[in-house]
Amino acid sequence: MLQFGEKIIVLDGAMGTRLEELGLAERPEDANMTDAEAIKSIHREYSAADIILTNTFGLNKIKYKGKFGIREVALKAIENARAAGKAVFFDVGPTGAMLKPIGTLSFDEAYAAFAEIADITRDFVDGYFAETFSDLYEMKACVLALKEHADKPIFASMTFDASGRTLTGSTPEIVANTLAGLGVDALGVNCSLGPKEMYNVVKKLLDCSPVPVIVEPNRGLPVFNGGKTEYTLTVEEFDSYIGKYIDMGAAIVGGCCGTNPQFINKISKYSGRSVAKRNIEPKTIINSSTRLVEIDGVKICGERLNPTGKKKLKEAIVAGDFDYLVDEAVKQQEAGADLLDVNVGVPKIDEPAVMKNTVERVQEYVDLPLQIDSSNKDAIEAGVRYFNGVPLINSVNGEESVMARVFPIAKKYGAVVLGLTMDERGVPKTAVERFEIAKRIIKRAEEYGIPRHKIMIDTLVLTASAEQSLVKETVEALRLVKTLGVKTALGVSNVSFGLPNRGLLNKTFLTMAMTCGLNMPIMNPLDGEMTGAVKAFAVLSGEDENSEKYIDIYKDFTPMANSVAAVSKGEDKSVNNLFDCVKRGIKSQAAALCIEELKKSDPMIVVNDVLIKALDEVGKLYDSGKLFLPQLVASAEAAKTAFAEVTKILPQGESTKGEVILATVKGDVHDIGKNIVKVVLQSHGYSVIDLGKDVPPETIVQAYKKYKPLAIGLSALMTTTVSSMEETINKLRSAGCETSIFVGGAVLNGEIAKQIGADYYTKDALEFVKVLETLV
Amino acid sequence: MNFSDVKLSIYTYLGYKGIAADAQTDEEIGQCLGELEGVIRFSYTFKQLDVLPEFLSKQPYCDFLKGCKYIVLCATTLGVEVDRRIKYLSKIDMRKSLIFDACASAALECLADEYEGKFGEERTYRFCPGYGGSDIKDLQYIFTFLRPEKIGISLTDSGLMLPQKSMAGIIGIGKKMQKTCAECINFSACAYLKDGKKCYSSVKK
Repeated sequence: MLQFGEKIIVLDGAMGTRLEELGLAERPEDANMTDAEAIKSIHREYSAADIILTNTFGLNKIKYKGKFGIREVALKAIENARAAGKAVFFDVGPTGAMLKPIGTLSFDEAYAAFAEIADITRDFVDGYFAETFSDLYEMKACVLALKEHADKPIFASMTFDASGRTLTGSTPEIVANTLAGLGVDALGVNCSLGPKEMYNVVKKLLDCSPVPVIVEPNRGLPVFNGGKTEYTLTVEEFDSYIGKYIDMGAAIVGGCCGTNPQFINKISKYSGRSVAKRNIEPKTIINSSTRLVEIDGVKICGERLNPTGKKKLKEAIVAGDFDYLVDEAVKQQEAGADLLDVNVGVPKIDEPAVMKNTVERVQEYVDLPLQIDSSNKDAIEAGVRYFNGVPLINSVNGEESVMARVFPIAKKYGAVVLGLTMDERGVPKTAVERFEIAKRIIKRAEEYGIPRHKIMIDTLVLTASAEQSLVKETVEALRLVKTLGVKTALGVSNVSFGLPNRGLLNKTFLTMAMTCGLNMPIMNPLDGEMTGAVKAFAVLSGEDENSEKYIDIYKDFTPMANSVAAVSKGEDKSVNNLFDCVKRGIKSQAAALCIEELKKSDPMIVVNDVLIKALDEVGKLYDSGKLFLPQLVASAEAAKTAFAEVTKILPQGESTKGEVILATVKGDVHDIGKNIVKVVLQSHGYSVIDLGKDVPPETIVQAYKKYKPLAIGLSALMTTTVSSMEETINKLRSAGCETSIFVGGAVLNGEIAKQIGADYYTKDALEFVKVLETLV
Repeated sequence: MNFSDVKLSIYTYLGYKGIAADAQTDEEIGQCLGELEGVIRFSYTFKQLDVLPEFLSKQPYCDFLKGCKYIVLCATTLGVEVDRRIKYLSKIDMRKSLIFDACASAALECLADEYEGKFGEERTYRFCPGYGGSDIKDLQYIFTFLRPEKIGISLTDSGLMLPQKSMAGIIGIGKKMQKTCAECINFSACAYLKDGKKCYSSVKK
């Protein structure tokens, strides 16, 4: 058996390059069947390697378009690879399709394609080599599928470009943290770059993760010569780089595009040598696919996606209004949160399903790492599984049954876990008792194979109004817990519950706690006083070197009393009435001016005589070519913001002119036009149910049945997706839908609209509203 | 690429029919272009073909390529982070998202044009499947030849390239040819033509 990470392992060299030389590159996977002898002989040429990879890079049901069955090709490919007489790893490449949210392939569809491969091959191979992935989320789907459908070693290698990131923006540190968390046997880099260009990526992988590192470069960068790709790096040059990487600690080496058996023969001398030792300092790290957060110093966890005590959020969760949740998430990112808590625990919902949807929707817009917060084990697993990265789990406590439910999930996905210092007896009064629970949690976690740096401890805040004397116990417990070498968290705003001027108490308590070693306040990042205290603390504790961040934020700071003058100084952005505000599209002042206006006039007068009137004027200017799309959209956004204030004081039922369903149809992901229609409709007082893009007909039919809206608006940009629009309309009609269906998009016109059974074609958002007004 | 290179095409994408934008929009365009630089990861891949592949031996490609010495198939993208940024902006500032989107489209055209300078002066413009009555589904053939997945472009079953700021097309080498309205995908519905204008004539440097 090969020992990963102790002795150097040598992989084989390029397959594609050899197939091209033999004229077999057009259908590489089929060559396993049609030219088995040629494939076997290529494998034999690489017999100096310790592991031979099967010729199956494009063999999965999403990518493979050949004429054979996946099973027969897979098994034949393994048989071919066995000809070299060495260990055989099954080569798994990406699907070639882009995953949601940028693309249209779902995580589960990608997972299923890889799971099928694992099911077919698990009894016949020695391991799996997942390689040349450029999307971390797809790699996560692949690794989970291989782990859950086979019990063989997994090597996971991603490709990075010259910027040192994957094509989807993940750094080596993010890739290493995520893949190590998923428990791969080795992780690394292959393809795209030559050995020289890979240096920074390899160095970072070696520096940040104890998992054995794979280095499988191309034969340098290709040179284009007469339309052909040529590689010019010599065997000796290649070998000298590989030697250097081995000295640095690489454990598994091989060759990617452009290499040939000579290269592998040359580097096979390293096989069996001891892998150089590396010293890696463990850190508490969570990450999304593009952002890594080390829990050190003070990091802000945004608490606003938690329905406790938040009526509107509760309603949004029950109604499936994910737009509302996403807005809350975006606001917190804008306000400077480092990570976001996600809790959807509302009675009588399918919490795992809602958690999955929320995580997917939030990470579509926000790139912060998430804290998956639930007491429902299945909801935790759903959140952790579909999160693209390494999340924090909130939480376990000292109860054995809770730890037994949550630790296996944390271990499987590599998540960091927050442990609360309480148990079946409740929250102990003293700091020492809480410290004891913390120790127990850490010990139990280690028994589950979860290292200490993946545990954080929350010493629990009680309210000062009820248990004043215990506030200092919480803070003291922080100090004790820090001696265990773990990071700490507190839900700080609990402290002020039941007392006046809560902000002052929260801020003061936050400062006390930070002084005693709090690393992660769970708080409202929209509270400028609280985030300000964190920034100020970073200066005073020395974490913000030379006060750089602080100065950057506050350099233009003007004390409250002068702020009005400061805003209006030299800017033409100040307006003094709502009408002008909407007309000029100044969203930032719309809410305040609307509140002023509502003090003077009846809500319906504000709507009809101010908002709609201003929008009408903007519309006329737009139609006559005196004003353009950016201004139109800005006005609509300002009016929409004002509308939100009006609806707050209107009785329910009167707060909307009616509901409109909008969707970009299946197969199409262009949504900018749909989004413009959405904001213009909202600015006129309609509620929009936005189903998003690439929406299957069935989803639109379901939404129609659920909402029975005033109108349905469908968008398609491409000729190829007009047919999908037609299918959607047909399905709606068969479901008995008599609601007016509006269509729009670059390739449509009135004639096509009629042909596909729509009621209205509207050329832009304004026309949509005009027609809709005639129907109301 | 600088502001003046792309300004006019940005105006066009935003619907300013040859009219200069107001100072505020100009300022925002400047800001967006600055931010764009931080997220663009421009990649370009191409293959030179001496023999015309089968999918190009039909109209309108035949006319387009008549008289060329050889052809180049190409694909290019600004990368996935641009899409992500547009999405994020659509949540915090729709107007800015719109301007950012237009800036990205203009930047892609501009960077691709710059890159194609290496093919020499004697070349056609980039003809992309979908133009001039050609079938957008022909993109699949370009994908078979080029495998632009390696620079991060994927093609959906409906013929859509992802990331959205991506292009793939054909360039004829050995003759000069510039875009005309007749080839445009939007010929029948063009708002510019209706006003007797051309979207591209004001864009020329």
